[in-house]
Amino acid sequence: MRAIRLIMQRELAQYFSSPLAYLIAGAFLLLTGVTFYSDLNFSLGVRPVEPALIPNLLAQVMIVFAPLLTMRLLSEENREGTMELLLTAPVSDGNIVFGKFLSAWAYYTFILLLTLLYQFILVNIALPDISHTIAAYLGIWMYGGAALAVGLLFSATTENQILAAFMATIALLLLYYGDSLGRVVASADLAYILFNLTLQGHYAASFAIGAVRAEDIVYYAGLIVVALFIAIRVIESKRWR
Amino acid sequence: MIEVKNLVKRYGTFSAVNNISFEAAPGEIVGLLGPNGAGKTTTMRILTGFMPPSEGSVKVEGFDVLENSMEVRRRVGYMPERVPVYLDMTVHGYLTFWAKLRGMKQPNTQVNQMLERFSLGDRRNKLVRSLSKGLRQRLGLAQALVHNPPVVILDEPTIGIDPQQVIEVRETVRALRENHTVLFSSHILSEVEQVCDRVIIIHKGKIMASGTPQQLAKKYKPGVHLYVSLSGRSQSEIRALLESLPKVDNVREQAAGFVLSSRTDADLRADVSSIIAKHQLTLLEMRLVEVTLEDIFLNIVDKR
Repeated sequence: MRAIRLIMQRELAQYFSSPLAYLIAGAFLLLTGVTFYSDLNFSLGVRPVEPALIPNLLAQVMIVFAPLLTMRLLSEENREGTMELLLTAPVSDGNIVFGKFLSAWAYYTFILLLTLLYQFILVNIALPDISHTIAAYLGIWMYGGAALAVGLLFSATTENQILAAFMATIALLLLYYGDSLGRVVASADLAYILFNLTLQGHYAASFAIGAVRAEDIVYYAGLIVVALFIAIRVIESKRWR
Repeated sequence: MIEVKNLVKRYGTFSAVNNISFEAAPGEIVGLLGPNGAGKTTTMRILTGFMPPSEGSVKVEGFDVLENSMEVRRRVGYMPERVPVYLDMTVHGYLTFWAKLRGMKQPNTQVNQMLERFSLGDRRNKLVRSLSKGLRQRLGLAQALVHNPPVVILDEPTIGIDPQQVIEVRETVRALRENHTVLFSSHILSEVEQVCDRVIIIHKGKIMASGTPQQLAKKYKPGVHLYVSLSGRSQSEIRALLESLPKVDNVREQAAGFVLSSRTDADLRADVSSIIAKHQLTLLEMRLVEVTLEDIFLNIVDKR
């Protein structure tokens, strides 16, 4: 536990001292801010505000942002050779991966909390469905964790950050839009199964409309566990090479 | 305490380390010497718990690297050849991180001691990124020693730094002898000769020779070697005169003179001066030639 905390602390400090992380946070807020503003304008006369507006946007944005946040975490250790020191420290491989993952998730939580600003504005000028918003935020928080875990997995496989980010983006795209395949198959059952395997399938159909379902939480938690487990194995395999 | 028994490490069909055994006791500096690719780094990586051995048993402070990896890792300080560092941390933060990760609860005093010892105190709040190669090397050593491990493993710690710093590093390593078992690798022979109590020469994954530098000198290049440079006659005449000396077994041309070798420990100087007097030669230079590990090393490596 202590090792996990130490590694997580170090990585978090790196996030807050690196320009990239601030750029990402800035882009994050700009994007969500513009979206919020235009939705607010729209909702003046046409329809009520969308309570899950920001989380819905993030569901797609995270496909790009999660790899950017995680690409460095393990690939840099591989490239700089510090992995050799980590692997000879009295720390299990699992602790290393878990500490790194928690730091990314904590940083993501931090920028997610920044977007709560919009909800405070909204509460002051309208009557939004707060429980709907909370459900959507819970969903996108879990969803983000899963996306980051996938990003971390690809960071473990290579020394090249760009390659790690690229492969993770492709994997997330497949995981997100995989259900498009369901639209071209003739079987409704198969389409249903495919839909339920995708990131989108466990967000759009539930959290986005304000529903919290155990199966969706289990799906994201499961994805985190599987991705981290493979990442640990990838690191272990480096010892045998 | 390091005990290595019949260690084998294979990568596929290639054996990087092929059945080596050695021991290192506390208070001893053991040098691993060999050309690049001899298996030094692989041996060290196995000792630090970075990679498992294919065969054989490796124990550090009585703990097996496979069965008690964590106990081994707690007791080893390691500086890899590349001296990896986290560029975006401060010098103080970097040492504190490793000290804590290796189980120290309150590492502040130790960290400050290390900063003092390696003259990094005035840079404690500087980013590691701003350090020169030599300073990073010192930081790497501090990192390996900060948790005061009984066993210290240094993989080519003097590569790529300037001569002044090389001397500093050697002195640091020698000072470690009191409280640590030190395993030190190098392909620079004079360095191993200066620093180590015992030398293990490895080549192509096998131990070729081991012992103190003096023992190795005796075993692989016994006898006395004398360099003389004379004038007054032609070189070939001088050579013939030198070869005629009864105790001289071999005469070899070197620079402007000759190296005389004798298999016994006889003193050749008296004989040489008698020739000088007899044939009225002029003595330009005469000195004993030290046997270097280089000679021994080439001698051993060539033979196989």
